[in-house]
Amino acid sequence: MGETVSADHILQTRGVFSQFDAYTVSACFDAKGNAGFGLGDGTVRINPHAQPLGWLSADAHDGALLGLCTDPSGTGFISGGDDGALMRITPAAEATRVAGFGGKWVEQVASFGDAKTQLIAAGVGKRLHILTAAGATLKTVEHPSTVTGIAFDAKGKRFAASHYNGASIWFVASKTDNPRKLDWKGSHTGITFSPDGDVVVTSMQENSLHGWRLSDGQNMRMSGYPSKTQSLSFTRNGKWLASSGAESIVLWPFFNGGPMGKAPTELAGGDEALCSVLTCHPVQEAVAAGFSDGLVLMADIPNARILPIAAPGRGAVSAIAWSRDGTHLAFGTETGFCAVVDFTKR
Amino acid sequence: MPESVVDATQALIPVTVLTGYLGAGKTTLLNRILSEQHGRKYAVVINEFGELGVDNDLVVDTDEEVFEMNNGCICCTVRGDLIRIIGALMKRKGRFDGIIIETTGLANPAPVAQTFFVDDNIKSRTRLDAIITVVDAKHLPQRLADSSEAAEQIAFADTIVLNKIDLVTPAEADAVEALIRGINRTARIIRAEKSNVDISALLNQGAFDLSRVLEHLPSFLETDEHSHNDDIASMSFEAKRPLDPEKFNAWIGELLAQKGQDLLRTKGILSYEGDDRRFAFQAVHMIADGDFIGPWKGEERTSRIVFIGRNLNRPQLRRGFEACQADSKAAD
Repeated sequence: MGETVSADHILQTRGVFSQFDAYTVSACFDAKGNAGFGLGDGTVRINPHAQPLGWLSADAHDGALLGLCTDPSGTGFISGGDDGALMRITPAAEATRVAGFGGKWVEQVASFGDAKTQLIAAGVGKRLHILTAAGATLKTVEHPSTVTGIAFDAKGKRFAASHYNGASIWFVASKTDNPRKLDWKGSHTGITFSPDGDVVVTSMQENSLHGWRLSDGQNMRMSGYPSKTQSLSFTRNGKWLASSGAESIVLWPFFNGGPMGKAPTELAGGDEALCSVLTCHPVQEAVAAGFSDGLVLMADIPNARILPIAAPGRGAVSAIAWSRDGTHLAFGTETGFCAVVDFTKR
Repeated sequence: MPESVVDATQALIPVTVLTGYLGAGKTTLLNRILSEQHGRKYAVVINEFGELGVDNDLVVDTDEEVFEMNNGCICCTVRGDLIRIIGALMKRKGRFDGIIIETTGLANPAPVAQTFFVDDNIKSRTRLDAIITVVDAKHLPQRLADSSEAAEQIAFADTIVLNKIDLVTPAEADAVEALIRGINRTARIIRAEKSNVDISALLNQGAFDLSRVLEHLPSFLETDEHSHNDDIASMSFEAKRPLDPEKFNAWIGELLAQKGQDLLRTKGILSYEGDDRRFAFQAVHMIADGDFIGPWKGEERTSRIVFIGRNLNRPQLRRGFEACQADSKAAD
């Protein structure tokens, strides 16, 4: 007690990291615990679970990488780029082409994978393509404007796309291709499902969030952010929706009638830096967040305790992800600093 | 400690917006820019692939997606596609020397310009260098008569390329230039044949940067009460005594809220009482932005403001602006 521990202590004692020279667009883990970082130079940098000091690099795109997700098989990654390619990257950093879209930007990628169902979703302009893990197109659906975000529900039965003036929800298996349209005026820039699949929330250009409860069609407006809300994440139990875009982690309560009429809880505020990205822990009621000054921390929601992970100074944090079991955290910055932090008991 | 900290204060990337009616010579000019700028790298955002010479440059094909902002500002529209595309371009490895955005012939320039005021990510990484409008010297009078977009494109311009000048007589050229001046008195007009403009005079000029625009505003133009185009006109005003920032903010805020739809562009260089720096103010419709720029250098500290728009009431605007001057007696 009483000894001041550096904000960088966890990174220095439990992290592996590397400085690359391109913007970190996205980070994620595969089911085997391999960490992938998609960069603005078109590469995917892989931190292999079995050999954390042996970073690998795959040349995935001729141009910039725009989106990265886990391969629905559970091993490796899927990426989209501004070269119009949808690529598969193995943990050994071998890149192969899954599909091509004639030079049109593949701006959004998402995947769903369990024992029965394995799907890839790719947003290309107004179109959203659903592909099998092997890359065969199952269906293509079209929206009134460009798709800005894609989310699968927890069972992989439905997928949702955000766009201008609302969102569309589609059934993967449906023969009739009419979406359930969720209308709300404005430009929606990202989307997520609640774990129980009853709530869809979008981030908006107008520094706010918008939610729809699907069971009764209720609209939920969540506003008051000083900047864009780019990152959204529900806690595993669905009680809280964590969001970036303020000088703190903003948590909306989705219980006891909330979020309507309830004030959000704010954690880890105080500095002027904006929370830029965040992701909820896959098991605990906790959230990891990155800030515009480079600070990375974890916040335990029930007792509001903050654990610093990495000190400011390595560029604005632009990507963050938990491993599936919640033992490892990956983050990357706009200036190409990428790290994996090991939280397993020692 | 961090091993490598990249300088976060990298220079903002200049963005040039190229507008102009169909057939005015916009694509020819774009081709000239791309073929003559050897050693520089541009990202070019266009609406349909034309025959572009693009060795070293990145061409992005997009559908113009004009979005209304839900921010309580009734005329606020932005280009949603540009927000996405420029955001993604900023993540690419290897910086661009500039971004060029070509708009469709019928486009209203307001959403493009407003995008650079409204979106925080774009504001923090790019700067709107200039809106360049290409007009056809021979057909401009007809265009102005049969469309509102042609006048709007001139009203928004920082630089106007008066193209196909070889197809009109000197007298016609002067007449069309007077027509342009009736709409926009502050834009730089460059005469050209087949879009043969000195490219270095077009790009990275800081033309949207008002300090230069208004410094060189000839005040004798002020006597030109006659407007050649009854629709859109421009008016400029001066104030000799320093302004009270609170009074100015209250006045301009109210004015933009009430008349923002009619006011296409507002630009001002202001002398605030008790401050040695020039304050640059600009607005596109209701969306305003302002910042202190360099100090006054010896010249007379005259505040100047220009309005380009419809239904401008000269006496009312003059009285309003002059009333923003600080009461020097009270200040002493």
